[in-house]
Amino acid sequence: MKNRLRVVVCVLLAVASIAGAQQKVTIKFFHRWPQEPRYSFFNQVVADFEKKNPDIHVEMDSVINDAYKEKIRVLISSNNVPDVFVSWSDSFAYNLVKSGKVKPLNDMLAKDKAFADSFIQSQMKAFTFDGKVYGLPQTIDGKVFVYNKDAFAKAGITAEPKNYNELIADLQKLKNAGYNPPLTEGLMDAWAISHYLGTIFQRYLPAEVLDKDYNEATGEFTNPGYKVALERFQQLVNFMGPNASSINHTDARNLFIAGKVPVIYLQLAEFAYIQQGNPKFKWGYFNFPAFTDGKGDPTTLTGAPEGFMLSNTSKNPEAAERFIKFLLSKENAAKFVKDVGAPVAIKGAVNASNSYPELIEAVDLITKASSTTPWFDNAVNIKIADAFMRGMQAVAVNDKTIDDVLKDAQEAAKIVAAEAKKK
Amino acid sequence: MTLSKKTRYSIEPILFMLPLLAMIGLFIYYPLVQNFINSFFRFSAFSPQKEYVGFENFFRLAHDKVIVTALKNNFRYAVVSLLVQVCFGLVLAAILEDQFFKKYSVVFRTTFFLPVLISITVICLLFTFIYHPTNGLLNGFLSLIGLGSWQRPWLGSSKTAIWATIAVSQWQSTGYIMMLFIVAIQKIPAELYEAAELDGAGKIRKFFTITIPQVKETFFVASVITVTGSVLVFNEPYILTAGGGPGTSSITLAVYMYQSGFFKDMMGYASAIAIVIFIISAILAFIQIKAFGTGED
Repeated sequence: MKNRLRVVVCVLLAVASIAGAQQKVTIKFFHRWPQEPRYSFFNQVVADFEKKNPDIHVEMDSVINDAYKEKIRVLISSNNVPDVFVSWSDSFAYNLVKSGKVKPLNDMLAKDKAFADSFIQSQMKAFTFDGKVYGLPQTIDGKVFVYNKDAFAKAGITAEPKNYNELIADLQKLKNAGYNPPLTEGLMDAWAISHYLGTIFQRYLPAEVLDKDYNEATGEFTNPGYKVALERFQQLVNFMGPNASSINHTDARNLFIAGKVPVIYLQLAEFAYIQQGNPKFKWGYFNFPAFTDGKGDPTTLTGAPEGFMLSNTSKNPEAAERFIKFLLSKENAAKFVKDVGAPVAIKGAVNASNSYPELIEAVDLITKASSTTPWFDNAVNIKIADAFMRGMQAVAVNDKTIDDVLKDAQEAAKIVAAEAKKK
Repeated sequence: MTLSKKTRYSIEPILFMLPLLAMIGLFIYYPLVQNFINSFFRFSAFSPQKEYVGFENFFRLAHDKVIVTALKNNFRYAVVSLLVQVCFGLVLAAILEDQFFKKYSVVFRTTFFLPVLISITVICLLFTFIYHPTNGLLNGFLSLIGLGSWQRPWLGSSKTAIWATIAVSQWQSTGYIMMLFIVAIQKIPAELYEAAELDGAGKIRKFFTITIPQVKETFFVASVITVTGSVLVFNEPYILTAGGGPGTSSITLAVYMYQSGFFKDMMGYASAIAIVIFIISAILAFIQIKAFGTGED
């Protein structure tokens, strides 16, 4: 009798636990920050979310930057797309969207107007294709020249340069004042070159030319302006000294923070490194100055948001929606700013209570920028970007001429256009 | 009855070999054939769709200047590796096996062999510090001994990047080849040396007339290992010069294949480069077999 009772109890318990498990759904969350401080932040967010939503279990996984790019490509072409995942903007996002596995979020945003309005609206464009929103931005970014205020004072520079010629004159002044090299960059990192090129092309060439050339099907890169733009970049490289080609961007940033080089082209997201590396350091920043003979809008800012996407094949779309809303809530965004020190796309999340003055100014700069230009390696097909990046790396060490680089880029554009037309 | 017994006997060895054959087929021959087929298509890692393009990838290969640079660099790797690892490795082994050095040879042998045991990734990261233009050990050392004018950005100049990369491989692998030679030299009968000594041969004479002919077999093996290794070299340029930079000056075939496939998203073209690497390795393997066939005394 006792035994029978035990069996009954066991069976009842088993049924109860199965029923319980059925109620609890699992969603997969995949991001690209297995390193601190972001790893802890996401862990905390997941723990908080599970506490508030006991019916949902979040399975979090992460791999670093370049590996993420490869892995998400494989996952998106499989049937195992994570429910919530990170994406870069523009061409990277578009490639994922083309697979048809990314969920359009227009309905979700229409239903929750307050949530839709909580984002800095200019940042949504980078995830919008054919009128549909496929991703929600978390971080925002922009590239600016950061300078050492003491060095500027020592070289007798009183105001930030208003145009490119003034920038060159200031670099020369710094060089004469004993800061050699006056500018630094880790040219070993190809992407660092692409950041410069994206801005210089945008500032120098007319927008119509870029629109045509950045489009895969119509890109030619034959406008004579490209040559001038690349020559301008080379002029800047000449201020970087002979060692720039054998260091990476992190090295260059450390040289700046250590006060050895007075000017560097940095991302706003990197401000935290200066703040933490050398709190007493006096620094300022300015947007890439205008070319006096440039045809592009000189007030745009180069930089792109990063954000999250939802799977179109999710088994638990409602749970995934709840999670992305929690992740991008103003509360969590503010916590992100405090923990990570990078600017976010959620209005009002960066404020005096959780950040330093430069970061608040930076968000202002992004919000007020007439528009944002994506990173060059995100804006064009990677084959063309590679021709420019590797090519200019070779030009920097006098291994190639600018004409060679343009020829290679035009070749690459022909291949890309031929492929785009066949699709 | 007898017939079935006969078949049982003949099927048993096949059964024993089957697991291995299946593994080799699945993991070596199938990918090889698949790669060959892939090289006639154009496709992206993003989507499973493939487009047949015939010999387009191979035509492009024939006109690609980067391939020429890569082949040149692989060739440089092979020549330097032969000279340093094989020839210098043999000299090192002979010195360490000399009576005069016997007492200390264990220390040196261990020291020279140690780099072989360290992961190549670790070594490359270590050498990025050594080659660092401003804080690097190498440039610091040069200025210390009064050769400040020799300082340069070793990995950041298209003239030195490939040689600096090759040097790292030599530093790592010479100890391994040296060990092969030490084993071979230890197998040489001592009488040969004694007889030569009675005839009044000096150390150098003994090295050329006894040691070298006696380690001929090992010499072949070592040459094949280093030359095939230099066709496949990937890690050193990938880590040290961020994928064969500056520009493409220190690129190798394997790095170019990787970049074409996973960075530029041209999987078909990458397959075509893989075929080139396969053909070169196959030719080398063929030479190896031939050389061994005639090399045996």
